[in-house]
Amino acid sequence: MAVKDGENKKVTPKDGENKKVTAKDRENKKMTVKDGEDKKMTVLEVKDLCKTYVVNKRQNNVLRNVSFSVDEGEMVAVMGPSGSGKSTLLYAVSGMDGATGGNVLFDGKDLMGLSAKELARLRLNEMGFIFQQMYMMNNLTILDNIVLPAMESKKTSESRKEKIMRGEDLMRKLDIIQVADNDINEVSGGQLQRACICRSMINRPRVLFADEPTGSLNRNASDEVMDELVKLNKEGTTVMMVTHDARVAARCSRVLYLVDGNIKGEYKSPAGGDVKEKDRERMLNNWLMELGW
Amino acid sequence: MFFRILKNDLKRKKTMNIILFLFIVLAAMFVAGGVNNVVTVMNGTDYYLDKAGVGDFVIVTSGEHAVGALDHMLKAEEAIQDYRLEQVVFGSQDDITGEDGKEKESKNVLVYQSIENSAITFFDMDNEPVTRIEPGHIYATGSFMEINKLKPGDVICLEHSGVELKFILDGTVKDALLGSDFMGNTRFIMSEEDMNKLLENQTIYESYRGEICYIDTKNFAAVASAAAKSPNVIFSGTRSTIKTAYMMEMIIAFIMLVLSVCLIVVSLVVLKFSITFTITKEFRQIGVMKAIGLSNGRVRSLYIVKYFMMALAGAVLGFFGSIPFSRMLLDSVSKKMMLGNDGGILVNVFGSFLVVCVIVLFAYICTGKVKRFTPVDAIRSGQTGERYKNKTILRIEKFPGGNALFMALNDVLSSPGRFLSVIISFGFCTLFVLMLVNTTATLNSPNLLDTLVTESHLYAILDQGLLGIMEGTREDMEERLDEMGEELTRKGMPARVCIELLYKYQVTFDGRDYVLNCQQGLHTDHDQYVYLEGTAPQNKYEIAVTPQISEMTGAGIGDTVTIHYDGEDMDCMVTAYYQSMNNMGNTIRLYEDAPADISHLAAAMDYQIDFTDDPSEEEVELRKERVRELFGLQEVMNATEYCIECMGVADTLESVQFLFLAITIVVVILVTVLMEKSFIADEKSQIAILKAMGFQDTAVVGWHIYRLGLAALAATVLAAAVSIPMTKLCITPIFGIMGALDVDYRIDPLQIFLLYPCIILGTTVIVTWATALNTKSIAAADTANIE
Repeated sequence: MAVKDGENKKVTPKDGENKKVTAKDRENKKMTVKDGEDKKMTVLEVKDLCKTYVVNKRQNNVLRNVSFSVDEGEMVAVMGPSGSGKSTLLYAVSGMDGATGGNVLFDGKDLMGLSAKELARLRLNEMGFIFQQMYMMNNLTILDNIVLPAMESKKTSESRKEKIMRGEDLMRKLDIIQVADNDINEVSGGQLQRACICRSMINRPRVLFADEPTGSLNRNASDEVMDELVKLNKEGTTVMMVTHDARVAARCSRVLYLVDGNIKGEYKSPAGGDVKEKDRERMLNNWLMELGW
Repeated sequence: MFFRILKNDLKRKKTMNIILFLFIVLAAMFVAGGVNNVVTVMNGTDYYLDKAGVGDFVIVTSGEHAVGALDHMLKAEEAIQDYRLEQVVFGSQDDITGEDGKEKESKNVLVYQSIENSAITFFDMDNEPVTRIEPGHIYATGSFMEINKLKPGDVICLEHSGVELKFILDGTVKDALLGSDFMGNTRFIMSEEDMNKLLENQTIYESYRGEICYIDTKNFAAVASAAAKSPNVIFSGTRSTIKTAYMMEMIIAFIMLVLSVCLIVVSLVVLKFSITFTITKEFRQIGVMKAIGLSNGRVRSLYIVKYFMMALAGAVLGFFGSIPFSRMLLDSVSKKMMLGNDGGILVNVFGSFLVVCVIVLFAYICTGKVKRFTPVDAIRSGQTGERYKNKTILRIEKFPGGNALFMALNDVLSSPGRFLSVIISFGFCTLFVLMLVNTTATLNSPNLLDTLVTESHLYAILDQGLLGIMEGTREDMEERLDEMGEELTRKGMPARVCIELLYKYQVTFDGRDYVLNCQQGLHTDHDQYVYLEGTAPQNKYEIAVTPQISEMTGAGIGDTVTIHYDGEDMDCMVTAYYQSMNNMGNTIRLYEDAPADISHLAAAMDYQIDFTDDPSEEEVELRKERVRELFGLQEVMNATEYCIECMGVADTLESVQFLFLAITIVVVILVTVLMEKSFIADEKSQIAILKAMGFQDTAVVGWHIYRLGLAALAATVLAAAVSIPMTKLCITPIFGIMGALDVDYRIDPLQIFLLYPCIILGTTVIVTWATALNTKSIAAADTANIE
């Protein structure tokens, strides 16, 4: 869970950039202090979140007073049976969808009080999204799809060329640079999902939200995508993902288990690199089975 | 099971199905209405002349002993199968006044007759035959009521040779023979009782009576030859001559025809797009069906049945819509004509049925892909992954504009086929509007003046009427012109006054006789005329002919024809070709000293005033009113106004132009709304992902506006670019039929390249914007709900 200082520096914006959210804002942010751990900033705090749909005059309480927080640099998985409200929770906390009640504080700002325009700006500059379906703009190349949010963003004063170079760097890092000029239907599913990760990272978001990012991939492709997400997390990006796959969730530092719109349990992965992946998975599975998974 | 799939499909894909259904209704409406218009216009004048009973050949006699002048010929000529005679009284333009004594404007020689004595059928504005008129009531033909702003129930007074009658106007009737602007005579139809009051007057009875004879024949030449030898004939012409008199009306009708064809093309293009578009979206379902073992034929039949049922329902609605739509288009033509067809409503049924067939055919063609795809290919929405050429053309790195423009331009360039229907449909409509604009601008200019008369500063409407001229001699007319010139000079407006007269003379060439219109100017200069080929006639033994006359008689430059003047047969050499819209180009131009006599006068143009002190345009405008007051003339016009007056259709054409602009705007609105809605339905996932990435609503709306805006821009630019050559290509033949073979079009670059393209473009942008606002309802969270 802990992220070393040295690692954190890798994804810190360059000097002069992002000054708006540094000095003053960060001082006001709530800090969580845990015994024996570094001071961590809470990037996302959810309080009594409720979401109710009314379909055919029948009330469906999808989320019931959900509360939790995510610290900077964490990698949190949300698991639960189908219809438990996982995706609804993800969309609500990322400001993509409204909530019926409660609060979502992102970097100290209450998303419920933001206008659609402000939410869009926040999503563009501070958040990244990866979906199960690898939606991209049909008529753009992979690289153009990746850099499109950067071109739209005014977060930095980078030139178009610099933004393109950043996109290429990300593609290189995720080993898909060879398909930069391809159309979106000329690449494999794994490559496309990695391209989606690049796109989500292009504006250096503080939090990466992923909804079943490996849901439509085979095992190998799924591993590749998870490797990249873990790598990004280690570099300092906070990740919150929804998944059905215990193998995927086992690579996260924390797992929230959602049942009928309530968090039924919270699992913390053992810290340190000495625990083998298989053991992590087994331990998580045991925990899940206890909860009736 | 088959119908359950169909039912679910209709329910589940409601938006796309509704859009397609709307297109089908529109297509059926345009096609059914269009086919009706095409059939109606193609048979337009024939249908009208048949219904009116005009026959194959018409002869008009006038003057003393005119009644009965044709009797011998009608009995003796074997080529005449049947004939119908009606007795008329001729009057002059100053006969008709209002209750206040003010003279009413009318055209050429007036014709009075009773409804009981009519040999042809007159139709009211609802196209119902007029069979009875109450004593004291009267109907007028042509534009009389419109020009004088009269309405049914108004009172007019008739004063002819001392007889004074008062009438209540019952309305306008359609007169197949004289109702066209080119024939231009206003005919008044009254009761037998009132007609007898006129005929009781000795002067009218002896000098102003005449006959109109409608002859059924197959041998026009024999009848024409016989008519040429008959006394008192002031007009003789075949059915085709009368038909060409409706050419101005037919211009409008043919424009309606082209408009209908244009709308048919647009609706079919859009329909093809919709069906292809909706079927492409079905490949996933098709794949599933194939995967579970349904045969190609079974899968195809499912969609064909679906489209057949939608087409059937849409065609029924479209059929009902086509009836008022077709009537609306034809109404703009048929104020003077009764347009219709014997097929009636069956033509609309045929048009609607045609749409059903076309849709089923489109569905059959579009589902053809089903055969070529494997279930997996189909599930991949037709994408096999095989591509040898990059689809994407633009690169964001090098693009100078914003992201919305980049995505829009990239979409249009990457999938031009998708936007082709917009480009074709908008392009067609815009092109047609621009062609109309060019035609109207030309008709509203003096550019066609040289096909009628020579160009002068002012044109004064004849004050004495044709009959008035015919009462005098040629010398009297020349004296009148001199007097006018001198009077103008005395008043400080030195000028030469001239006039063009048209006579009817028998002409012989190559052993064949013709009765032809001969045009002669008094006080004109032959060098003022424009000749297509050859040299201007230099003396009375030389003439110029129109290409139409040359074609009819076979007489070309260098040939000699014989003109039978009174008491003198003169051999004249053809020295030049010229173009003329007088009498549809069927005229000969005589030299000024040729011995033509007023007794053969068939028509007269108006006084032409050429100021010799070279006044400015402003000064000419000021002199208009002075000239009118000086001679007590009804109207004095400048060259442009006179040309517009002579053409007679500029106003109607302008109305048609605005009607078509309105239709184009409606088409643009419909196509834009339907296409934009299709795009939104298709791109829901892309819109949602853009929003999830943080794109503002304005960026998404901007992307959509740019995209259809670019397609509309391409359409309007293309249309504007080809509008001038296309106008020449399509409209010149229509002018050619009327005698103008070489038309100098008036092009207004502001209208062609700016105003109208901007109207189309602006409409597209506004409508796209309004429709694209629907994208606001697609939320970022919808990425989870998209299939």
